[in-house]
Amino acid sequence: MIDTSIIPGIIRILLVCVIITAACIISTRNLLSLVSMYSLQSATLAGLALALYALEPAPVLLAIAVVTFLSKALIIPYFIATIQEKIRIKRDIEFHFLSPTSSLLLSMALMLVVYIALTRILEGTPVRENLFFFGAVIGISLMLMGMMVMLSRKRAITKVLGFLSMENGVLLFGMFVTELPFIIEFLIIIDLIILVLLTTILTVGIDSTLEDYHKRLHRFRLLQGPEERP
Amino acid sequence: MILLAYILIALSALAVIGISTTHRRMNIACIIHASLYTVLTVYVLLFQQVPVASFFIGSHYFFMDYFGLFEVLIASVIFTCAAVYAGGYVESLLKSGELDKSSLKLFYTSWAMLLSVLALAFFCDNLALFWICAELTTILSAMLVAILSARENIDAAIKYIFIASASMLFSFVGLIFLFETSRSVMGTGTLNWTELMLYAPAFPPRMLVAAFALVFIGFAAKSGIFPFHTWLPDAHAKAPSAVSALLSAVLLNVGIYGIIRVYAIAHQTPAAATIAPVLGLFGFFTVAIAAFSMLPERNLKKLIAFSSVENMGIILIGIAVSTPLAIFWVLFHIMAHSLIKASLFFSAGILHRQYRSRLSTDAVDEIRDVFLLQPLAAWGIIIGGLAITGMPLFPVFLSKLFILLGLGAVSLPALLILLLLLFVTAAALGYFVITAFTQKTQPGIPSDIEPYVTPLTMKIPLVFLIGLMILTGMLFTPGEVSFLDRIVGELRF
Repeated sequence: MIDTSIIPGIIRILLVCVIITAACIISTRNLLSLVSMYSLQSATLAGLALALYALEPAPVLLAIAVVTFLSKALIIPYFIATIQEKIRIKRDIEFHFLSPTSSLLLSMALMLVVYIALTRILEGTPVRENLFFFGAVIGISLMLMGMMVMLSRKRAITKVLGFLSMENGVLLFGMFVTELPFIIEFLIIIDLIILVLLTTILTVGIDSTLEDYHKRLHRFRLLQGPEERP
Repeated sequence: MILLAYILIALSALAVIGISTTHRRMNIACIIHASLYTVLTVYVLLFQQVPVASFFIGSHYFFMDYFGLFEVLIASVIFTCAAVYAGGYVESLLKSGELDKSSLKLFYTSWAMLLSVLALAFFCDNLALFWICAELTTILSAMLVAILSARENIDAAIKYIFIASASMLFSFVGLIFLFETSRSVMGTGTLNWTELMLYAPAFPPRMLVAAFALVFIGFAAKSGIFPFHTWLPDAHAKAPSAVSALLSAVLLNVGIYGIIRVYAIAHQTPAAATIAPVLGLFGFFTVAIAAFSMLPERNLKKLIAFSSVENMGIILIGIAVSTPLAIFWVLFHIMAHSLIKASLFFSAGILHRQYRSRLSTDAVDEIRDVFLLQPLAAWGIIIGGLAITGMPLFPVFLSKLFILLGLGAVSLPALLILLLLLFVTAAALGYFVITAFTQKTQPGIPSDIEPYVTPLTMKIPLVFLIGLMILTGMLFTPGEVSFLDRIVGELRF
C-alpha cells in the first residue's frame, strides 16, 4: 500500500495534467491527436478517482474509475476514431470567433474568475478544505474550457469532443465536491454514451456533406421530386 | 405501483411498433399508447390518493403529485392528437419521398419512447433522475427532427443537441451544489424534491442562489429562454409539423417544469428576493427578442416558433411575480399555450404540405388562394393566432390578464413595456396573416398549384384542439380550479 501522505501530491499533479490536456484540446489542429488527448484526459480522471479512493475508501469512487476508464478512455475514443476514418477528415483548422492563443488566454482568465466565485460561494461549507477546493476549481474550469472548444470550432465532430471535455469537467467537480449515489452516476454515463453515439452519427451526415457537398445536394434534390440542376 | 402500468404500456407499445411492418400499424400503436396514458392519468387523478408514493429502490426516486400529473395529462392529450395527425402527415412525407420508408420504424420508436420518458420525467421525485430524463427527451426529440435526413434538418438537430445538452451540464453542476447544500443542513445529502422542500427554509441563501443560477441555465435552454433560444426557431421550423407540435407544446414544458420545481425550493428562503427580479428580467428579454424577431419573419413555422419563445417569456415573468395567484395563472397559461400551439402547428403543417417549395426545404412557403385551397388550415391559423395573442373567449386571455395584473401590482412601468411588446407580437402575427392570406392568383392566369387533399386524420385533431381550447377558455369548472389550486398548494407559494 502506498503511503497516504503522498497522495495529495499525486492528486495535485494529476489535476495539472488534466489542465494540460484541456489546453491541448483547445489548440490542437490534428483530429487524431485530439481524440487521443481526450482519451488521455479521461484516463487521468480515472486515475484521480483511484487516488481519491486511496484517500477515503468509498466504493462509488472505484466504480467511477472503472466505468470512466472503460467508456471514456476506450470505447468513446475508439468510436470517434472509426467515424473519423469514415468521413476522412484529418484536420480541423477553421476557428470561429477565437483563435487558439486567445482561447488559452481567456481560459486562464476564466480560471481566476472561477476561483474567486467559488471562494465566495463555498464559504463555510466543508469543501473549503484546500485540496478539494482545488479540484472543484479545476473541474469548473475544465468545463468552461470545453465550452470554448464547442464555441470556437467549426466541425461538428470537434464540437463533440468539446462537449465530452465539458462533461469530464462536471465529473471532476462532482468527484471533489460531493458523493452522488452510484445509480445516478451510472445512469448519467449511460445517458452520455447514447448522446455521443447519436451526435457522432449525425455528424457523419454533416461533416461528410461538407466534403462532397455537391454530390449529396444532387441526391437530395432527386429525392424531392422534380430535378433542379444547380 | 401505478407507475408500473405506465411502463408496461410503454413497453407493449414499443413491442408492437417493433414487430409491425406497415405504417398504419405503427401509427395506431402510438395513438393507443398516448390515449391509454390519458385515460390512466385521469384515472389516477379521480380515483387515487394523490400524491401517490411509489416503490422504493434505495430511495424514493419516483412519486406522482398533482403537478406531475397535470404535465403528463397535457403531454398525453397533445401526443394523442399529434399521433392521429402524424398518420396523414407521415403518409404524405412518404409519398413525396422526403421520408425514407426504412426510417419509419426509427421515427415511431423514438416517438413512443419520447412520450414514455416524458411521463417518467414528470414523475421523478429525484431531481438528478429528472435531469437524466430531460436529457433523454432532448436526444429523442432531436432524433425526430433529424429524421428527414435533409441537411437543414441535421443541422437544426445538432444545434439543438449541442445548445441544450451543454447548458444542461451547467444544470447538473447546479444540482451538485443543491446536493451539497442539503448535505450541509441535513447531514446526508439528498436530491429528492419532497425532502428538499421540507428542509428548504434552513438552506443557506447564498448557496441556493448559486445552485439556482446554474440549474436555470440548463432548463432555460431547454425551454427556449433568451439568450439560449437560438436553437428553437430552427428546430421547430425544420421538424415535420407533427413533431414541431410536440416540441413546442410538450417539450418546452419540461424546462419550465424544472424551473418551477427548483424555484419552489428557493422560494422558501430569502434567496427568492434575489432570484425573482433576475427571472423577470430574463422573461422581459425573452419576450422582447421574440417580438422583434417576429416582425420581419416570413416563414410561418418560424413565426409560430418565435411566438412560443414569447410565451415562455410571459410564463417566466409570471413565475417571477410568484404570488399564489400568478402561479395559478402560470399553470393555466402552460396548458393553454400547449393546446393552442399544437393546433397552430397542425394548421401550419397542412399549409406546408400545400405550398412547400420544391426547390429547397429552407424556402418560405408561397401562400396563395388559401381560402380556396385550404380553408380549414387558414381558419385554424386565424383562430389560433387570435387565441395566442389573448383575445377574449380564448384561454390565454384569462391567463395573460391575470399575469399582467400581478405584474402591475409589482411595477407599473414594467407592465407598460410588456404590453407594448405584446402588441408588437400581435401586430407581427396579424401582419403575416393579412399579407399572406390575401395573396391571390391573378384572374385569367390558370393556377399552377395542385390542391393538396388533406386527409381526414389531419383535420380531426385540428378541429378537436380548437374545440378544446374554446371550451377551456369559456368554461371554468370548479374541478379545474381546485386542481390548479392544489398544485399551487403543493409548490407552497
